[in-house]
Amino acid sequence: MADRFELPQPGAPTALHFPSIQRDELANGMGVWFLPHAGMPALSAVLLIAGGTAGDPPDRPGLAGFVADLADEGAAGRDAIELADAFSRLGGRIELDVGPDVTAISMTSLSRFLAPVLALTADIVARPHLAETDLTRVRDLRTSRLRQLNRSAAAAADRAFLGAVLAGHAYGHGALGTTRSLEAVTLGEARDFWAATFTPRRATLVIAGEASAGEVMSAATAAFGSWSNDGGDPRPVPVPASRHDRRVLVVDRPGAPQSELRVGHLGPARQVDEYHALVTLNAVLGGQFTSRINRNLRETRAITYGARTAFDMRRAGGTFACDTSVQGDATAIAVREILAEMRGMQDEGAVDGDELDAAKASLTRGYVRHFETAAHLVRAMAQLTTYGLDRAVFDRFVPEVDAVTAADLTRVARAFVHPDDATIVVVGDGRHAEALADLGREIVSVVPEF
Amino acid sequence: MRVPFTKTTLPNGLDVIVHEDRRVPLVAVNVWYHVGSKQEQPGRTGLAHLFEHLMFEGSAHQPSGYFEPLQRAGAAVNGSTSADRTNYWETVPAEAARLALWMEADRMGWMLPALTAARFETQRGVVINERRQSYENRPYGLAQFALLHALFPDDHPYHWPTIGQVPDLQQATLDDAQAFFARFYHPGNASLVVAGDIATGEAMALAADFFGEIPAGPPIEPVTPPALSPTAARLVLADRVELPRLYVAWHSPALAADGDAELDLAADVLANGRTSRLYRRLIFDERVASDVTAAQGSRELGGTFQVVATAAPGRTLDELHRAIVEEVERLGAGGPDDAELERGRAQAEAAFVYRLQSLGGFGGKADQLNAYNTYFGDPDGFERDLARYLDATAETIRTATAASLDPAAAVALSVVPLGQEALALPGSVPAPAGL
Repeated sequence: MADRFELPQPGAPTALHFPSIQRDELANGMGVWFLPHAGMPALSAVLLIAGGTAGDPPDRPGLAGFVADLADEGAAGRDAIELADAFSRLGGRIELDVGPDVTAISMTSLSRFLAPVLALTADIVARPHLAETDLTRVRDLRTSRLRQLNRSAAAAADRAFLGAVLAGHAYGHGALGTTRSLEAVTLGEARDFWAATFTPRRATLVIAGEASAGEVMSAATAAFGSWSNDGGDPRPVPVPASRHDRRVLVVDRPGAPQSELRVGHLGPARQVDEYHALVTLNAVLGGQFTSRINRNLRETRAITYGARTAFDMRRAGGTFACDTSVQGDATAIAVREILAEMRGMQDEGAVDGDELDAAKASLTRGYVRHFETAAHLVRAMAQLTTYGLDRAVFDRFVPEVDAVTAADLTRVARAFVHPDDATIVVVGDGRHAEALADLGREIVSVVPEF
Repeated sequence: MRVPFTKTTLPNGLDVIVHEDRRVPLVAVNVWYHVGSKQEQPGRTGLAHLFEHLMFEGSAHQPSGYFEPLQRAGAAVNGSTSADRTNYWETVPAEAARLALWMEADRMGWMLPALTAARFETQRGVVINERRQSYENRPYGLAQFALLHALFPDDHPYHWPTIGQVPDLQQATLDDAQAFFARFYHPGNASLVVAGDIATGEAMALAADFFGEIPAGPPIEPVTPPALSPTAARLVLADRVELPRLYVAWHSPALAADGDAELDLAADVLANGRTSRLYRRLIFDERVASDVTAAQGSRELGGTFQVVATAAPGRTLDELHRAIVEEVERLGAGGPDDAELERGRAQAEAAFVYRLQSLGGFGGKADQLNAYNTYFGDPDGFERDLARYLDATAETIRTATAASLDPAAAVALSVVPLGQEALALPGSVPAPAGL
């Protein structure tokens, strides 16, 4: 008991070896990827269709999300309620999510219902009704949702930020689009979009759980084998042109008790060479609880419940930003501190050995937590197909992060973090934004379009 | 679908539960203290949750805070407070299990020496900002506070929100926090689960070694709430929202009491998912609502049942109210049909399987073992809990609905856009300020 009051140190970590994925392909070109994961009679699966919100026509932001939402409103002779009934009698769940680069239809199923759950999902993607009456109902629900989101400070901030930093780019909007755009969508447009994008050649079915590769292949063949839409590959998303919007954008919410903040700019794509140095940089600056910005704004100043930074790395480009919500009268000090912390990362010797070691250890030792469940394995495989990565990325992560040096952090901070060119979004009481005048930037009032 | 475990109670009263699952090199450490906002006093609300924040700030032998050493070991770390309990967890790579256990022991036994006035002040400010972010600055964010306030009388411990009322948070003192720790944070009021890639014997030995010398604490008196009488009220809350929303709420059975599982199933029949009666009627057929949900929220001293619907643009809360009342009465009269019963059973069974996939975190296996142990004195609750759902019949669901959901004894809260109080249900009176 001599060491009772001494903090125990963790032992040597176990190396991660990502298992070999069993990959196959149906005759129509759809990929099938499987990883066995025993122990629970359940399966996690996702059907990924290349192309997401970035594939929206320029004058129709929100079309991809709208079409995906319509797909499960009626298919293969069943209406929306009958489809939901069929899934729920199996204890199954389905969720459609349209991201920037990919449309994901996620399923959770008991192992014994693999075949019927896949068959229902195949109906939705390959045989949707896309009926006029569903279109008008879903349009009303989505425009109501947009009206509601307009009152969410976080949603308004995200919209103002993306709209400024990625103005005019295919990544500059989210899956809901705008009311104006949704009101213009015709049934013909929706059907054409479905026919061009919901194609087996663009699709990969990713599954993990208690099953055999043979069972998965035969269920996938039975469900998706007759899917024959033929369309081209997604239009490549252009790399966002490097530009800066140094303004302070204020979305006025008179009387709001907090200011929702976004401070950031364009960032790299997922395939960036310096990925591991950037992940480490983010862990030091704002990626976790003990990072500099959260310690400063929350644990020292107590002006927020939390502050985070993140690189949102997409296939062709992305953003880097600090997200937080701070008490209104601390708006100006919070923005100044965020900018100062970003600048601080660029100084020579900015990060000392212990801070770097702590950040690296948290990333490398904690890495195994991301590979625990069937859902984790599916998410990992989905990343490979979404971003065109090799499965070795998972085994390489720990040694690559281990190799990051303090000099690497300074170098990538200078190359990828640009506080002086950052866009600043404030969603809060406009009176508090006036205190930002001494930043010497243009302050403009904006109203994000919903 | 069993979750095998070994349970011991240390001489100081701490329950230690170990569940081995060696598939992935992870260990979940999870501690529940059987204390929540229901143990607070009026005028001192929010203390249980504020105290939870302080537990991460340091302990006598790790005074510089809890996040740094745990994150450095690769841990995910969090905690939460409800009306009934407070939980803390770390999910760590197996080689850091010893560290996580040591840290939970140090703050259970030796937290107060590290609790300084400066830390107390900081976390007071953080919590007031948490309240602003999660409730005050969020559309409809104060609705639940207004409902609790109306459903439970002033001297009932579910009357106030767990996050606390702002004047109380401002007046809380370091002495309050120290007294709270002495009264509620001790082994006899706690339950420890260690789950994952660790041998049972090793986990038990570590627990005995680290926690064994923490002194037992004073016995804790059960909270005896005042009796509830049926409550009928119509309230309006004006907020920064776009569309009016209606909440209809009732008292309902407590956690695991007769009718609790039935009302959980009734909520799905009524308003959860596209197959539910109110979705079909209000959203699919009549198109007068933009969303609808229902929930049976059961807690130790009693439950609440709510149906919540948001009007479609241009539609009135009166239309929604009429439909909700009719469907609740219809279910209370006729019960669910066979298809509804079959769906409810299939969903319940599947949900129990899905809930066993994660070791740690909120709702993981370790957290569930502790929930069963804390509330029912036995971690072996999974199958018994599922049986409550599988044993429900059309008739028991009908009876539970009729018994609890009397439309004449409901609290109806209208949340409407600022300046448009006329959109509330007729006869509504303003919800009190300062919730």
